[in-house]
Formats: sequence, structure tokens, C-alpha cells
Amino acid sequence: MKTTPIRSLLSATVAASTLLAFAPTAQAVDAEAAQALARQNNCLKCHSVDKEKDAPSFKKVAAKYKGKADAEQKLIDHITSGNKVKFADGHEEEHKVIKTSPPKDMGQVKNLVQWILSQ
Amino acid sequence: MDGSAATAGWLRRTWTRLNRPSARYSVLALGVVFFLAGIIFWGGFHTGLEMTNTLEFCTGCHEMRDTVYQEYKETIHYSNRTGVRAICSDCHVPREWGPKMIRKAQASLEVWGKLVGTIDTKEKFEARRMTLATHEWARMKASNSRECRNCHDFDAMSAELQKQTPYKKHMKAKEEGKTCIDCHKGIAHHLPKEYRDPDE
Repeated sequence: MKTTPIRSLLSATVAASTLLAFAPTAQAVDAEAAQALARQNNCLKCHSVDKEKDAPSFKKVAAKYKGKADAEQKLIDHITSGNKVKFADGHEEEHKVIKTSPPKDMGQVKNLVQWILSQ
Repeated sequence: MDGSAATAGWLRRTWTRLNRPSARYSVLALGVVFFLAGIIFWGGFHTGLEMTNTLEFCTGCHEMRDTVYQEYKETIHYSNRTGVRAICSDCHVPREWGPKMIRKAQASLEVWGKLVGTIDTKEKFEARRMTLATHEWARMKASNSRECRNCHDFDAMSAELQKQTPYKKHMKAKEEGKTCIDCHKGIAHHLPKEYRDPDE
């Protein structure tokens, strides 16, 4: 069967669309939703975007994890597992577990972590 | 004789009967009847009032059921380790009789809001969430978070059982004369999108 120019163009379009659909794309961070979740969970009582409070600033956290491949997963574990954190005075206590609405929405948690890492 | 004259005559006769001292019943009998009628009236009034304090009543309209009630169901005040539940009225209606009557009178304005559809869609509710929350925060602040304090007390907080950071914050808040709602906003409902924490 002879391939016409129109058929070739169609095939190329379909192939390109398929590639685009399945290509890993960087999801844009929803900063407003991330801040709302941080506010709702009282993160900002201990953390600040750029100031040192009882806990490190989000800018400091982002700098610490910059360039590390496992940064996102480590932070997700940190805010969902309730693991121990060390404070400046040396005492340790469990980190708050982030609650979402609807509950356990990992998309919201991931967005919050990506926003923190983008500071 | 026209209607207004007949009504005036009936009113006058009724008033005369009520105003005339009883020649048939003793003061004791009248006192007992009055006392029993008072108990029935008060019991009925109190029962009716308490019916408006139930979770079922508060979530009977879709304005509450589809919005704040769904949010509240995801919080610790609805479901927790010990099985103690605080329902709407525990936080939003004073227990003391005087403040409760005032709050119930204010709530009659909410009935007007229901009639005119002030928040009858989710969009309308979200548009007014900040206003509504600000009113409630102001009410709580003015009463020194009275309804929170029906269950929570700075003096009952254990330094051993509470995490060190919140314990320190609580003791500092106590020293500074702060009240629960100063820091604990949006604990049973979503915060309004316009809200900004002063600590940020």
C-alpha cells in the first residue's frame, strides 16, 4: 500500500500525541493549595517560609534537600509517619502527621512537599 | 352590632373574668395549679430548646450538612481514640442559661438567612465563610473561649503527657492571658481561604 503525505502526517500526529500523553511531566505546584494545607495543619506555628522558629524555615529545608533525588519521598515520609524530630534544645518529639481533606490524599501531601522544596 | 364592637365586648368580658378574685377556688388550689402549669411549661420549653441543640437538628439543613458538617467529621472533635465527641452545640451554644438565651435569640437571624438563601449553595457559603468564621471567632474571643473551656483547661494539661513544644506554648499563652481561639482556629472546619495566621 502506498503511503500518502496526509496519511504520514496523521501517523506522525498520533505518535506525537501518544508520546506526550505518556511522557513524565513535571506537575506545576499549586502554591495556594499548599499554603492552605500548611495553615490548616498549623505547620506555620513552628515553621516559616524564611524565618527560623521552633523548626527550620522551609527555605532551609529546601536548601538541605537541593539536588537530592530522594528529597520528595523523604519529606513525604517525614510529614506522614510521625517520626521523631530533634529540637534546638536537644529534646525529641514526634512530628505532626499532616491531615488532608478528604483524608489521606497523597496528591495534596505531595503538592505541599513540592512547594516546600521550591522555596 | 359590627365585628369590632363584638371583639371589644369579648375582650372586656374576658379581662373582667380574669381580673375578678376567685370566690370558688382557694388560694392553695390556685397555687398548686399555677405551680404544676409552670412545671409543664418550663419542661416543655426546656425540652424544645434542647431539641435545637442536637447534632441532628444542626445538620438538618443542607447548608450545614453539605459543608461544615462534612469537614467536622474528619476532625478529632468528631472521632478520636477515647470516643468523646463534641457536637455543634458543645462549641457553638453556651451552656449557661443567660448566654444560651442570648445566643438562641441571635440564631433567629440565621433562620432569616435560611429563608432568603444567604448560603444555600456551596459557592455562596465559601464566599461568606470568612465573614461567618470571623463572627464566631469574635464571639469565642469575647467569652474567653468559654465553650472550649467546658472541656479544656490550661491547669489540667500534663507536662508529662503533652508534647513538650505545645506544652510550652500553652503555658506561655496562659501567662500572656491568651485564650484558646487566639491560636486554635479552623480546628473543626476548614479555614477560610482569606485567613492568614498572625504567626506566619
